[in-house]
Amino acid sequence: MPIYEQTYRHYEGKMRHGFRWLIVIEQELRVLVKAKPFLLLLLVAMIHCIVRLLQVVAFDVVIQDPNNPLTPLLNQIKGLMVSEQMFFDFLRLQTPVLFLITLYAGCGMICNDFNNNLMEIYFSKPIRWYDYVVGKVSSLVIVGLMLTAVPAIFLVVLHNLLVPSMKVFQETWTWPGEIIGFSLVIVLPMALSIPAASALLRSQNYAAIVIVMIPVAASAMATVLQGVLDNRNYLILSLPIAINRIGEQLFHGHVSFHLNWRWSMAHIVGVCVLCLWIIIHKVRKAELAT
Amino acid sequence: MSVIELRDVEVCYEDLKALNGVTCSIDGGTVGLLGPNGAGKSTLLKTLLGFNRATKGSVTVFGMDMPKNALKVRMQLGYMPERESVSPKVSAVSFITYCGRLFGMSRVDAMERTHEVLNYVGLGEARYRKMETYSTGMLQRVKLAQALVHDPKLLLLDEPTNGLDPQGRIELLELIKEVAGRRKVTIILSSHLLPDIQHVCDNVILIQGGVVALAGSIDELTAVVDRCFEVRIRDNKDGFLTGLAEAGFTWQDQQDGNLFVTAPDNTDPRTLFEIARARETQIRHFRPARHSLTEIFTQAAGKE
Repeated sequence: MPIYEQTYRHYEGKMRHGFRWLIVIEQELRVLVKAKPFLLLLLVAMIHCIVRLLQVVAFDVVIQDPNNPLTPLLNQIKGLMVSEQMFFDFLRLQTPVLFLITLYAGCGMICNDFNNNLMEIYFSKPIRWYDYVVGKVSSLVIVGLMLTAVPAIFLVVLHNLLVPSMKVFQETWTWPGEIIGFSLVIVLPMALSIPAASALLRSQNYAAIVIVMIPVAASAMATVLQGVLDNRNYLILSLPIAINRIGEQLFHGHVSFHLNWRWSMAHIVGVCVLCLWIIIHKVRKAELAT
Repeated sequence: MSVIELRDVEVCYEDLKALNGVTCSIDGGTVGLLGPNGAGKSTLLKTLLGFNRATKGSVTVFGMDMPKNALKVRMQLGYMPERESVSPKVSAVSFITYCGRLFGMSRVDAMERTHEVLNYVGLGEARYRKMETYSTGMLQRVKLAQALVHDPKLLLLDEPTNGLDPQGRIELLELIKEVAGRRKVTIILSSHLLPDIQHVCDNVILIQGGVVALAGSIDELTAVVDRCFEVRIRDNKDGFLTGLAEAGFTWQDQQDGNLFVTAPDNTDPRTLFEIARARETQIRHFRPARHSLTEIFTQAAGKE
């Protein structure tokens, strides 16, 4: 028999109101960083960031210095230049790893809560559907931006610090905006479509398969159509290509098809809105059964 | 003011009326929500939580209309769902802390409360293990802990002893009884297990086919039945029954081997002992009969 009273005290602290979605984000990130596969994928994504960091340092420190013995050697390597195109390539090449990370983090995000009957528990607390949805989606957006916009902006700042001149600043001051814009265009469809598949299907494996198959099928169809009809504008049907088209527009790169970029944006926004509607519809149904 | 007030509440799942004009009021204490499977018990609890919207009638909890004030009500309410709920990849500590934070506690407070309630429900060192490794009993304790973490005034327990072994069941029921007795928490315990209700509750509401078939305190409902006795005799049952018939008694055989004997008007119960002595047998068990919850439940269910 315990010598103390085995009980719990009355809670006398203050309860905070509002911003419950911040707690959902915190918990999601807390769970993710404890998962080894997630950390492994994060490491892969970081390798690319480190390579780009070395590129910026090599360009700014070595190539800009005519007396450096490595300058002639590095000058021969095309694509080493720090430019808008470099940042476009960086974000583009981050996309596959980011897709895998988001897929790992997001495909079980909602369906596992349904399968494990956690919705009843969560919604018996003073949270609303929007706290839940905003929390879940934002955690994926944060992970996405941490691997795209944040390192890219860091590289722009580093570039300015290593070559401190007005000319470089005037050249680069618009880049952070372009980087954030393109990063959001990459991250948002992923952060919405993967949880949408998770909300729609009861298994995270099926959700992952569906989310991989849909873009692959759409891209294949777009490629076939553009080949058969000899019109590159049909490439817009592929979401990855539509995203790429926005990047080309933002970073003033070579455009892959000439249809106005607004159509690509409309495609992306349409997908995001549809996915958001699916998530909200499913989650609200859990919050309010009748 | 009643803790819970339901007036002519109707809840529908598409064409099916799960609650069909439920009117009842709960003033506190421990209330058992009884009824067969599909009677509407869980629907009633979910209506109190604001998960279901009443198509007709009004629901007030702590004087606040539901589901309009669902968030305010949920601040003072703990809910233990019927189905197994588990967050497999996190520990009980992490899960309960998260639940505490969803109520609005600071991280430090939530962590402190988590350990208090986990101690209280008797989850030892296992609290640091991932929940996917827990037994059913441990998961039930975690479910109870998440409902208690914010120190609620009202606790809704939906089939809390589901899947538990007899020892685990007794432990959990004792814990619930303690919460009600010492913490002065109003508890609504939904179950189709009559012994669970009888063990824990002071009052009972019987739901049958979406309506309240019966409501009242268990003591009143199971009051002593006038001129009725539970009797068990040693042997010579036929002789004893003949003696009973001659003296004007009526009887019914019970499942446990006892006789449910009804004495005629103005007959002294001692007559039973005289009959036994005359028939050369002994009465081994004798007590004034009470209605059991099982009988009440069966009768009420039969009426429906």
